[in-house]
Amino acid sequence: MMDTKKLKQLAKDSVYGLISVCVFLCIWAFGVRTSDIGIVMPGPGKVIYEFIQSFFVPIGKYTMPGHILWSLYRVLPAYIVGSVLGIVIGIAMGWFRYVNSFLRPLYEMIRPIPPIAWIPISIVWFGIGEGSKWFIIFLAAFVPVVLNSISGAKSVDPLLLKCGEMLGADKKYIFRTIVLPYSVPYIFSGLQVALSASWATVVAAEMIRSSEGVGWIIISSMDTNNVTQSLVGIVGIGIVGFILAVMMRELEGRLCRWTVREN
Amino acid sequence: MDKRKIISAGLAILSIVLFIFIWYLCTDVLELVPARTLPSPEKVLDSFIKKFHDKNPDGGTLIEHTLASLQVALTGYLWAIIIGVPLGIFMAWNRNVDKFVRPLFDLLKPIPGVAWIPLMIVIFGIGIKSKAAVVFCSAVVPCILNSYTGIKQSKEVHMWVARTFGATRLQMLWTVAIPTALPHIMTGIRVALSSAWVAIVAAELLGSTKGLGFMIQQSRGIYRTDIIIVGMLAIGICGIILSIILSFIEHLVVKGRK
Amino acid sequence: MQMDSKGKLIPVIEGRKICKRFSSKRGEKTVLEDIDLSVSENEFVVLFGPGQCGKTTLMNILSGLDVPTSGTVYCDGEIVQRPAPERGVVFQAMALFPWLTVRGNVAYGLKARGVPRDEWMERSDYFIKLVGLEGFEDAYINRLSGGMKQRVGIARAYCNDPKVLFMDEPFSALDAQTRYMMQDEIARIWETEKKTVVFVTNNIEEAVFLADRIILLTNCPSHVKKEYRIDLPRPRDYTSRDFLLLRDEITKQMDSTL
Repeated sequence: MMDTKKLKQLAKDSVYGLISVCVFLCIWAFGVRTSDIGIVMPGPGKVIYEFIQSFFVPIGKYTMPGHILWSLYRVLPAYIVGSVLGIVIGIAMGWFRYVNSFLRPLYEMIRPIPPIAWIPISIVWFGIGEGSKWFIIFLAAFVPVVLNSISGAKSVDPLLLKCGEMLGADKKYIFRTIVLPYSVPYIFSGLQVALSASWATVVAAEMIRSSEGVGWIIISSMDTNNVTQSLVGIVGIGIVGFILAVMMRELEGRLCRWTVREN
Repeated sequence: MDKRKIISAGLAILSIVLFIFIWYLCTDVLELVPARTLPSPEKVLDSFIKKFHDKNPDGGTLIEHTLASLQVALTGYLWAIIIGVPLGIFMAWNRNVDKFVRPLFDLLKPIPGVAWIPLMIVIFGIGIKSKAAVVFCSAVVPCILNSYTGIKQSKEVHMWVARTFGATRLQMLWTVAIPTALPHIMTGIRVALSSAWVAIVAAELLGSTKGLGFMIQQSRGIYRTDIIIVGMLAIGICGIILSIILSFIEHLVVKGRK
Repeated sequence: MQMDSKGKLIPVIEGRKICKRFSSKRGEKTVLEDIDLSVSENEFVVLFGPGQCGKTTLMNILSGLDVPTSGTVYCDGEIVQRPAPERGVVFQAMALFPWLTVRGNVAYGLKARGVPRDEWMERSDYFIKLVGLEGFEDAYINRLSGGMKQRVGIARAYCNDPKVLFMDEPFSALDAQTRYMMQDEIARIWETEKKTVVFVTNNIEEAVFLADRIILLTNCPSHVKKEYRIDLPRPRDYTSRDFLLLRDEITKQMDSTL
């Protein structure tokens, strides 16, 4: 049961949020009307109208949902593969000393290079199709997930490990029942970072080479000098990015209930 | 104990040697992949050295490109710190500001910096300004976010202590809240640096006439894979050097506060 | 109880000439010096001493969580080198698994050793009931209060059926009221489920209330100063004359060792 106090607070917060967004939109509208920016920038009304319009009238080949689906189709498979592989390798590196010594130098070689910088070479390697995009999204997900999984497995409380041994668990059982669950919150924060990095990367990749997707909406607006379309694209990207983050947080809350404290 | 360390070091060296050896084997010795797709390690090293003084094929030496990228990235980055950190502190410190600005910030936060590129070009034109603005958009988010959480986490008890000594709100901010938040703020500044570096590469890939991003994009067009790899290495190395410099500064600033 | 070849009783836990030194940059520090002690079956022994005297270190060595610099610990005649299920520990820091429910924690040891489901369900049910946590079987640890958490720790150690139970200041994190309650509780549990217990504390009242025998340790480097056999009838009364006399006597002894 949700008590009335919480409900009241929620209502209050959303009122403030609504007011603040309205104030922002008013300033935007006012600025566009009265200053030189108005020559290049459309007002908020037009952007919102066009955004709603984009669900029914296609931009290029697809409507907004179509573009979003294209982008998600590029992100999700590579994100999932990158995350799973990242968790496995990261945990192995964090837990087994020699795996870490062997893989660390190789990992440190790819880590500092941003996934976006892989775009040109991935086009050379995999062509301009989906392969090159999957490859860089894979990297965008893999690198942060490995990093967080390592720190998860490394920071397992030694007292808990001794406690496991004291209770008669063997190494395998300790790994399965202590090391893995202990790392889960760390892994999730890696997954969260990786998701927003993947989403940012797909936008960049689509801006560089594609003929559909939310990144394409933005970049094609440059050719036609259509600023409204660019803003519509930004709104779409922001909303999807927001929804993905919320879904991830929800999943985390479901899967590790034990980290959620009351109050 | 010592034996373990020796094995670890041996494995680390082995992995690098093995990596280069396999690369070498696939390219120069067995010629499994064409040089167009993957040049040999020897060729990459050669191009790396050559690129220091060779302006071909993209009209700039490696150093010129690096400096161009650094200049834009650092401009946007500094602005992000100057505006982002105080804004984050202000948002967390002042309840009314928090209530109004936070929802807006939550809406803008999930938009990746690259998405702003076309809009910035329209507003600032093609050139340093628009790219610096894109860098700013990417770097400002972590600055605000971490300063905000840092201030929010300063302990109530410390505040009460300050209040019993009759500190004004401003004094409390300066002497209690900001010092406690400093490690968080520094984290934000560090995260912002890598965001800034990513953003500049992206901006240069999309439209530019100089910079490391431009260099690798240009080389792709003419299939100079060796220069792409040189560029990627340069991007990675610069990122590492920047973060080393930053942790040095961090060490100076946070010294004695722990 | 086992006997050796000469027909002498072998103590459940025996420490011979235990020394522990820690070396750091500032030099060596001797924490334990030549400690000899033995604990026989179903005895409740309290290791008692001032603040930082190394009681916990001694207990860690006896239970196998730590290794001595020199000297040997025997458990049932065998040398102790590592933690094992024969020697259960209730930790000061509790060390519960937050991702498991109360039942998951209590039954952990049994499950780890492949005990069939029916059996571990039955045993864990029994011990959860014994420590008074009925109805909380499926609650996660972070929803419990401090006292309840330590009950889980005690049930977990008991459920594993160890030969010896070590308790390292298990109630030091609890408030005074809960502490009294838990002392009663542990005395009651010990009466129902006889076990050999080694209990570490720096609270004299607790020591006299629980112990069959108190081993008084000196300050660092600690060695055994004196042993007291406590023959007061159980359940004991904190306010009885004999209790207070004993309490005063031991306190005096301890004060002079500071």
